[in-house]
Amino acid sequence: MKRDPFVIIGVALVVALMLVFGFKLAKRPGQSESAQMQNGTAPDFALESLDGKTVHLSDYRGKPVVLNFWATWCGPCKIEMPWFVDFQKQYGPAGVQFLGVAMDDAKTEEIAEFAKSMKVNYPILIGKESVGDAYGGVQFLPETFYIDRNGKIVDKAFGLKGRGEIEDDIKKIIGQNSVAQTQK
Amino acid sequence: MNSITKVAFLFLLAAATLAAQDSLGRKTPSVTLSAAPVTTIVRGKATDVELRFHVGSGFHINSNKPAAEYLIPTTLKLDVPTDIVVGKITYPPGEEMSFAFAPDEKLSVYSGEFNLSVQVRPLVTMLPGKYEIRGRLRYQACDKAACFPPKQLPVEFEVKVIKAPPPPQKNPAQSPHAHT
Repeated sequence: MKRDPFVIIGVALVVALMLVFGFKLAKRPGQSESAQMQNGTAPDFALESLDGKTVHLSDYRGKPVVLNFWATWCGPCKIEMPWFVDFQKQYGPAGVQFLGVAMDDAKTEEIAEFAKSMKVNYPILIGKESVGDAYGGVQFLPETFYIDRNGKIVDKAFGLKGRGEIEDDIKKIIGQNSVAQTQK
Repeated sequence: MNSITKVAFLFLLAAATLAAQDSLGRKTPSVTLSAAPVTTIVRGKATDVELRFHVGSGFHINSNKPAAEYLIPTTLKLDVPTDIVVGKITYPPGEEMSFAFAPDEKLSVYSGEFNLSVQVRPLVTMLPGKYEIRGRLRYQACDKAACFPPKQLPVEFEVKVIKAPPPPQKNPAQSPHAHT
C-alpha cells in the first residue's frame, strides 16, 4: 500500500507541534514571567539579607539597581562577583546599587562565608523560588537584571557576560535616568 | 529513505530540538543512563556492575571530587532490596578542564561518556532471580557560561542472582590395593 505523502508530512507536522507546545505547557506555571515583568517593571520582593533584615526591591526606588541571581555552586557567578565588587565601588557614588540574590540550598552561614571570601561589598539576599519565578523562572545562573531608578528593567543578562558588557549595561541604567531627569 | 520521509523526519528533529530548549533559547542539560545489560551475580559474592552515563553535548558536570568545596559533586545513591548489600561505588577521576569563565582554574568534570562501578553482593540466603535496583544520580551541570540547578536522574538496573555453582566433587581416595 502506497502512503499519501501529504498525510505523512501532515502527521509529522502535528506531532512536531505537539512536541513543541507540549513542552511549553508542561513547564511550571511560575516559570512564566509575571505581569509586571511583561510590563517591563522589575517585580518587587521582600527577601531576608545575610544579617537578617528584610529587604524590598522598592527600598531602592530612585537608585539604579543591578539585581544578580547567583549561587555558591555556580562557577560563572564566581567570576562575575569580583567585577561587581569593583563596579559597586566605581558606580556606587553615582547611586548604583548591586543586590545579590543567592538561589542556593546552602545554609545562610555558608552563603555568608562565601560572600565574605569574595569580599562582596553589596547586600546578599537569600533567594526564594517565588522571587525567581517572578523574574521568569531563573532556570540557570547567573542571571542579572539592570533596573533603572524608576524600577524599569532596562536590560537582562543570562549567563556570564564580559566585564565590558556589564559595564555598558550599568552605564545604560545610569544614563537613561539622566535623560529622564533632564526631561522633567 | 525517500524525500517525503526525510521531510517528516526533519520536522520532528526540529521540534525535538526546540522542545529541548528553554524559553531563552538555551539548551537544557541532559544526563542519561545507557541501558545496562542484566548482570549475573552469584549469591554471597561481591560483583561490580558497570553503569554508563552520557552528559549532553556542550555541558559538563562536576566529578565526584570537584576542584573546590563550593561545587556540588556527582553522587549516586541506591535503594536496594534488603538482601542485597551495596559496597563501594567507584567514580572515575574527573577530567581536568579549564573554561572561558575560569581560565586560570582547572575544574574536575565529567563530560561525554563516563562509567560508574557499583559493587553489589547478594546475601547467600537470597532467592535466585532477577532484582531491580533503583537510585538517583545527583549532578549539577554547567555549560560555558551558565550553571543549572542540581538535578537528580533516576537510575534503574537489573541484576540476576544465581546460586553458587556446586564445588567440584573430589573422588574419594582409593587405595590401589583395595579390590573387592
